[in-house]
Amino acid sequence: MKKILTSILSLGLAASAALAADTITAVKVSDVTDANAWAKAKFSSVTLYPQTAVHMNDKKANAANADDKAKKADVAALYDGKNIALMVKWADGTKSVQGAYSSDTYSDGFAVQFAGATKGSHALPYIGMGSDGRPVVVHLQKATEKVYEPNGNKDVSTQVNRNQTALFGKELADYDAKVASLAKTDYERVFVAEGFRSLTEIKDGSVKSNAAMAYANNGWTGTITRALKDDYVNLKGTVPVAIAVWDGDKMGRNGLKNLSSWVAVNLEGMKPDTKVVAEITEESKGNAEKGKAAVDANGCAGCHQITSKDAPSFMGPSLANVGGYSTVAYLRESILKPSAVVVPGYNRNAHSNTPWYTIEKGKRISAMTDFSFLDKKTVEDIVAYLKTLKAEVE
Amino acid sequence: MSKRQLAMVMDLNKCIGCQTCTVACKTQWTNRNGREYMYWNNVETYPGTGYPKNWMELGGGFDAAGDLQPGVIPNLEADYGVPWDYNYESLMGGMADSQHFHPHVSPTWGPNWDEDQGAGAFPQDNYFFYLPRICNHCTNPGCLSACPRDAIFKREEDGVVLVDLDRCQGYRYCIAGCPYKKIYFNPKISKSEKCILCFPRIEQGLPPACAQQCVGRIRFVGFLDDEDSQVYKLVHKYKVAIGLRSDYGTQPNVYYIPPTESPAKFDAEGKIIEGSTRLPIEELEKLFGPAVHDSIATLKAEMKKRKETGVSELLDLLIAYQHSDMFRLDNNYYQQVAKENKRNPLAPVDTRYLAGKFTQAGGHH
Repeated sequence: MKKILTSILSLGLAASAALAADTITAVKVSDVTDANAWAKAKFSSVTLYPQTAVHMNDKKANAANADDKAKKADVAALYDGKNIALMVKWADGTKSVQGAYSSDTYSDGFAVQFAGATKGSHALPYIGMGSDGRPVVVHLQKATEKVYEPNGNKDVSTQVNRNQTALFGKELADYDAKVASLAKTDYERVFVAEGFRSLTEIKDGSVKSNAAMAYANNGWTGTITRALKDDYVNLKGTVPVAIAVWDGDKMGRNGLKNLSSWVAVNLEGMKPDTKVVAEITEESKGNAEKGKAAVDANGCAGCHQITSKDAPSFMGPSLANVGGYSTVAYLRESILKPSAVVVPGYNRNAHSNTPWYTIEKGKRISAMTDFSFLDKKTVEDIVAYLKTLKAEVE
Repeated sequence: MSKRQLAMVMDLNKCIGCQTCTVACKTQWTNRNGREYMYWNNVETYPGTGYPKNWMELGGGFDAAGDLQPGVIPNLEADYGVPWDYNYESLMGGMADSQHFHPHVSPTWGPNWDEDQGAGAFPQDNYFFYLPRICNHCTNPGCLSACPRDAIFKREEDGVVLVDLDRCQGYRYCIAGCPYKKIYFNPKISKSEKCILCFPRIEQGLPPACAQQCVGRIRFVGFLDDEDSQVYKLVHKYKVAIGLRSDYGTQPNVYYIPPTESPAKFDAEGKIIEGSTRLPIEELEKLFGPAVHDSIATLKAEMKKRKETGVSELLDLLIAYQHSDMFRLDNNYYQQVAKENKRNPLAPVDTRYLAGKFTQAGGHH
């Protein structure tokens, strides 16, 4: 994949104009693994907002990310009979690769999230790694250095003690040669998740995919190719995807990232899924100013951070960027049915006096009041206000 | 809280700082594969910077309201120290004429960099003692609470805190969350690793390597609910063993007998100041809280009693005549657990440490 990327970069695609949109057209080509196919790609600009739902406990990282802005990424897609490929290009002035022998450095990386089958009336899972019964598949690629890792399987139980083999010169040399041939340098992972904390790596090879990233001209270009259909997803018509990027220089990892809302990738020549497109592109018809007044009047700030400058209460998730990465439908649902999607958030033990949900019969029940008593117009006004809560683009 | 809890008691009056525990642990677990810089067991000089450097100032743990506190992840070179090695091979290989003995990296910091420095002015009132530290296998672990992936778990059967290496993705919030900085990042596998209380030994009725090898016989190991165990007697019966920095709110399960004896100070003429003691009680209060006063009083009273009557169960316990006086582990208990749950007797409690909680053939669910 590295070779393909190099030739892509040499095509000078960076100069191609990108359209700002929450829909992307996946161009049909004969073979997505052919680097030249990207010449036909149509780039769209996608905005990635800082993920600020929960406040993690790394002091330095929190300081480094306190004033995070939104970023733009140029995204294009191709598909053929079997596979879909996405290319994500984003600016990053600092190339960060996790050191092979370092305890506190982090790598740049990117991920693409695909929606699995959803149950009920929802067209989409929750943006933050899905939700109960609405799984997502996440493809992750991080920039890493070559790692000395004896058996290539991260299988720590069979690793060898060099000190005890030092007397056996030839054996050690043979062993090192074997290590060099086996050692994996690529940090590529595929996960399935139904809400954060549930992210589980798929290791059985049931997802066929390939991801890579290359740095040039103060920016990264990442590509991922995956099958259109497997045990987890069945992509046709309109493919909802979400993009995330990590900045290692700002100690980015896990939730410390920028992410997009759901983006609709329409497979060219196929019938779009109007339900999905409608949910992704829906705009709020409410009055944001009246919504702000309603948010104040209903005491939302008692539990939620409304802007990133408010003190965290460790209760509800921060709403500082909720307008950036959430759909209107999700925001509306969260007001009317707070328990429909309860993100697991912190380990409940980390803030034991402010539990934001209880578990009843195995289901998470949100501590938030059910606001379905509000009239429809007020709800729409609140949604309109929440949609304005997002960081500026840097 | 787990059903049962293993605990260790370390008698600081008897620790001579020989580092045999450190070496026992290192050769067993951490001399390879990205763990080279880690000391799951270390012995530091107190007062001193400790390992990693100034760990008490790096945050983590809980405040009085029970909220996890933010922390800092130490730097390998500056705070832990890069483990260095020497060019033994080229010197042994006949190149001693052309080469001199030198380390392969220029050392800038390492564990015990300030060994035996302590505090105070020599010779009037200088003082220090050794503080051996392993993971506290806390009842309320900061590392566990900090993990956004539920990759850290506390075993129901014995309270051992372990990292599920399958779920761990190397985010390192656990390191920030642990106030003792006793969980480490393995950069080679990009996962966190920590003291496992030698659970494969414990499960077979053997004490952890650090405790078994301790030449000062300072370490007692057993179950806290076992009233015949040494740890029960020291922690609950006599209340002489106290958790380290329990103000961090994690409820540590490694307990310490505080140092009770320290030499008197010298005056300007080099004469002993009668009744003085070099070790300031404030330092012990900082480490062990106000309970340290009662602990020291009990220890002194028992010493006196022993001197006068020749009898003291507590002192007999602390003298530790035999290994059997120090460890009460229960191989039968683990075998019973294995039997009840139809598990392999060699892995009676779980296989999650290696295999992962959610890993099944076929991926997930």
